[in-house]
Amino acid sequence: MNELRRDPFEERSRALFQDSVENLDMRIRSRLTQARSAAIAAAAGRRPWFLSLTTWAPAAGVTAAAVLGVALWLGSPLGHQTATLAVAQTNLEDLDLVASSDEGAGDAMEMMQDDLDFYEFAASAANPDSAA
Amino acid sequence: MTPVDTLNTAWMVWDSLAPAVKGAVLQYTKELEKFLAEIERRAFRMAQVALRDPDDALDVVQDAMLKLTRNYASKPSTEWRPLFYRILENGIRDLQRRRTVRKRVMTWLPGAKEDPDNEAQDPLDNVADAAPAIPEMLMQAQAMQQLEDSLRALPARQREAFMLRNFEGMDVAETANAMACSEGSVKTHYSRAVHALREKLGEVW
Repeated sequence: MNELRRDPFEERSRALFQDSVENLDMRIRSRLTQARSAAIAAAAGRRPWFLSLTTWAPAAGVTAAAVLGVALWLGSPLGHQTATLAVAQTNLEDLDLVASSDEGAGDAMEMMQDDLDFYEFAASAANPDSAA
Repeated sequence: MTPVDTLNTAWMVWDSLAPAVKGAVLQYTKELEKFLAEIERRAFRMAQVALRDPDDALDVVQDAMLKLTRNYASKPSTEWRPLFYRILENGIRDLQRRRTVRKRVMTWLPGAKEDPDNEAQDPLDNVADAAPAIPEMLMQAQAMQQLEDSLRALPARQREAFMLRNFEGMDVAETANAMACSEGSVKTHYSRAVHALREKLGEVW
């Protein structure tokens, strides 16, 4: 950054400038410090986008409370009833799949067969004594 | 994982993230303050060379600091210096333009005296300095005054190139960035400035 200066004219002008900077009076120095503090305060006031997320904390809290409410409601008997209905519907769909005789159903049966193999393997791995 | 567990995990992530982010902001604020403290006095003197009036110089430096911290603090710290000087030079040019307009308006007004420097004299400027007048210091102050006068007489771009390269110690690339021009232009401006200053100040300076 600071390149070598050989020219005496350039050296002298730079030295004079540095002297004038070092001999600045206290009034100017003080005003510069104030200006710097004001600029830093402005920078601290204007937070970057990622910090501004913290300003959303109250809204995030409300959202979290809403989500929690839904979760608790799903866990309640009323919610459970809905969940039970959903499970029943899924079971019916599975039954349809198994009972149907079209081409896709054959694939589905194969998948279930694979799963059964896997469950057998998992059971034997968990209880090696019983497998033997 | 139950919904409550998911929520707990999310809150844990959030709680651990917030201090880290705040720490990062504190760090860059410290860096910014260090940068400004390091640069402010030279910037003020450069602005004073261009504008003569210390209060005007303080105003443009303060304005440049504010603009840098508000708009460019998120830039990498290596880019701050050229950005700061670009903002400063724009501020200096704006103020000089306003002065020119004011000067023209003043000449149209009947009975208005034209102030060649178009600036109010600070009474403190006429108060004698309490510091002892050492001849060597006086000579240096006189030489600096001559240099300042000669710099003010230069075209703005030449003065800018000379001050950034010589006073601030920027290399050609950084100066080109600060002046928003090519490196070739910086070399030309700088060379012409040195030549003109040598001619004006002479060898005895």
